[in-house]
Amino acid sequence: MGTSTESDDTLSFLRTEDGKLLVTAGPSGVWLGLLLLLPLTFMITVSFMNVNDSYNIVWQPSLENYGQLFGGQGPFWQTSFFESLLLSYFVAAVTTVLCLTLAFPLAYLLARKGGRLFKIVIFLVLLPFFTMYLVRAYSWLLMFGPSGVLNATLLQLGVIGEPLGVLNFGVPAIIVGLTHAYFPYMLLSLYASLDGIDFSLVEAARDLGASRAEVLIDVILPLALPGIISGSLFVFVPSLGAFITPRFLGQGKVLMIGQLIEERINSLYAIGYGSAASMFIVVTIVVAFGVAFRYVSVDELGGV
Amino acid sequence: MATETDTAETADGRAGQETATATVGATGLLDHEQRERLYSRLLYLIAGLLLVFLWIPLTVMVFLSFARNSSTLFPFEGFTVEHYLATFADAGLMGALYNSVQVATLSATIATVLGVLASLALARRDFRFKQGFRTFGILPMIVPGVVLGIALLIYFRTLLSGLPLVGDLFVPGFLTLVLTHSVYGFPFVLLIVSARLYTFDESLEEAARDLGAGPLETFKDVTFPVVAPAIGAGFLFAWIRSFEDFIRAFFVKGTMDVLTTAMFSMIKYGAAPKMNAISSFIVFLIAIVLAVAMNVGNVTEYVAAGGGDPDE
Repeated sequence: MGTSTESDDTLSFLRTEDGKLLVTAGPSGVWLGLLLLLPLTFMITVSFMNVNDSYNIVWQPSLENYGQLFGGQGPFWQTSFFESLLLSYFVAAVTTVLCLTLAFPLAYLLARKGGRLFKIVIFLVLLPFFTMYLVRAYSWLLMFGPSGVLNATLLQLGVIGEPLGVLNFGVPAIIVGLTHAYFPYMLLSLYASLDGIDFSLVEAARDLGASRAEVLIDVILPLALPGIISGSLFVFVPSLGAFITPRFLGQGKVLMIGQLIEERINSLYAIGYGSAASMFIVVTIVVAFGVAFRYVSVDELGGV
Repeated sequence: MATETDTAETADGRAGQETATATVGATGLLDHEQRERLYSRLLYLIAGLLLVFLWIPLTVMVFLSFARNSSTLFPFEGFTVEHYLATFADAGLMGALYNSVQVATLSATIATVLGVLASLALARRDFRFKQGFRTFGILPMIVPGVVLGIALLIYFRTLLSGLPLVGDLFVPGFLTLVLTHSVYGFPFVLLIVSARLYTFDESLEEAARDLGAGPLETFKDVTFPVVAPAIGAGFLFAWIRSFEDFIRAFFVKGTMDVLTTAMFSMIKYGAAPKMNAISSFIVFLIAIVLAVAMNVGNVTEYVAAGGGDPDE
C-alpha cells in the first residue's frame, strides 16, 4: 500500500491528531456545511432580499418580504399570516401541555416497574411511533369528520342524535392528531430522565411526612426537569411547523403556518414570502432552545 | 405486579386487623395504604387508556382495510382482500415504493458513514468547538421539516441549479432527495453511535494499539465489533426516518414520487380503500421489523439514548 513516498506522507499525516480529526469530523462537517448551514444561511439571506417576477433574487437588502407578511387590507393582526402564526403557537402550546400531562403517569410507571410489562408497553408505544407519520395522520382522518368513525359510531349507538361539532375537522382534531403524533417523543424524554431517579428519595420524602403532592412538586418534578424540558421542545417545535396533520384534520377550515408556507412555495414559488415566514419558526426555535439550555445541557437532549 | 392487583376485600381484611390494634395512628396508616393502592390503580388505568388512545385509530384503519365499506364502519358489509390486491397491482404506487426504498437505503448509508466518523471524532478526539459541532450535528433533527424542506428547495433550485456544469444535478429529483434525507438521518446515527462509544472502555483500544495494531486495524478488530449493534440501529433509524418522511421529500422531490408523496396525492383524490391497505401494510411491516429488532438488540436503549440501561 504505502510504497510511494506520497502515500507515506499522507499516511503519516493521518496518524497525527489533526489528521485523525480531519478524517473523522471532516466529511460530516463539509456535508452539513454544504447541505444544512449554507441552505439555512441562504434562506435567511433571501428573506431579506427582493425577488422579482422571474424568480430572480435582487441582491439588495430589503424588508419587503416581512412587510408582505403583515401587509394587506386592515391592521396587521387581521392578516392571514398573523392569524396562522397565532393559531400555530396556540395549537403547539396546547399539544405540548397535553402530551406532558398524558405521558408523565406512563413514564413514571415504566420507570418504576420495568421488566416484562415494560417491554410490552414500550413495544405498544414504539410501534405507532415508528409507523409512518403520514399514516397516523391519515388514521385520524378516518376517525374525525361529520361522517367519520367517531361520529358514525356514536350515532349508531344512539348516544348522540346528530354529528358532534367537536368531532368534526378543526382545531380540536388537529390537537388530537398532533398529540398522537408527538406523544412518544415526550414519553421517551420523560422516561429517560425518570429512569435515572433514585426512587428511595421518594420513599424517604414520604416517610418524613411529605404529602403525595409535595413529593411530586419538590422531589420528582425537579429531578425530571431535563426530561420535561427536552420532551416539551421535541413536541412544541415540530407541532409549530406541522403541515400534514393540520392539512388532513383541519380540512381547510384553519391554516397553520406550515400550511401557509407550503402553499406559497408550492403553488407560487414565492420564496421571499416563504423564507420570511420560516424565519418566525427559526427564531422561535432559537429562543426556545436558548431558554432550554439554561436548564439542560445538549447531552441531555438525546431523547429521540 | 401481583401485589397491585389485590382486591378491595383483602384491603378490608387487613383493615380489620389494623383496627384491632385500635390506635388513631393505625387508621391513618390504613387510609394511607388504601390510597396507595388507589393511586397505583389509577396509574394503571391512565396507562391503559393511553395505549387505547395510541392504538384506536390504527386498529380502525387496519379493520377498514379488510372491510368492503372502506371509509366508515357502518353499515358493515363484510370482509375482503380486494383492496390489498388492487393496491399491489397499482404500478404507480409500487414504483413510488421502490423509489422510497432506494432513497432510504442510499441516504441512510451516507448518513451512517458520516455519522460513525463524526461519532469517533466526538468520543475520541478533543477539539475546539466540539459542543458546537455536536449541536450542529443534531440540528437536522430539530429543524422542522417545512423549514428544512423550503431551505433546501430554494438552495437547490435557485442557487445550485444555476451553476455551470453541475447545475443540472441539482434540479429537484432523485439526487436532491437522497442528499436531503442523508442530512436528515445523520443526527440519529450520531446520537446512537456516539452514546455507545462514550460507554465503551477506551483502554481496550489503547491496548490494541500498544500491541502494534494500526488505527484502522484497531477500529476493525476492536471498536467495530463492539459498536456494530449501535451502527445497525443508527442505520435502521436513519432508514425509517427517510422512508416515512413526507414534508422534506414533498419540497425537494421535483417530478419524482416517493411512497409518502404518492400516498398524499391518493388522499387528495380520495382513494381511501388503497390508502387503508397500503397504510396497514406498512403497520404490519414495521411491527415485524420492530419485533425482530427488539429481540435481537436492545432497541429501547437506543431510543432513549443516554438514559438506557444496557442490561435491561
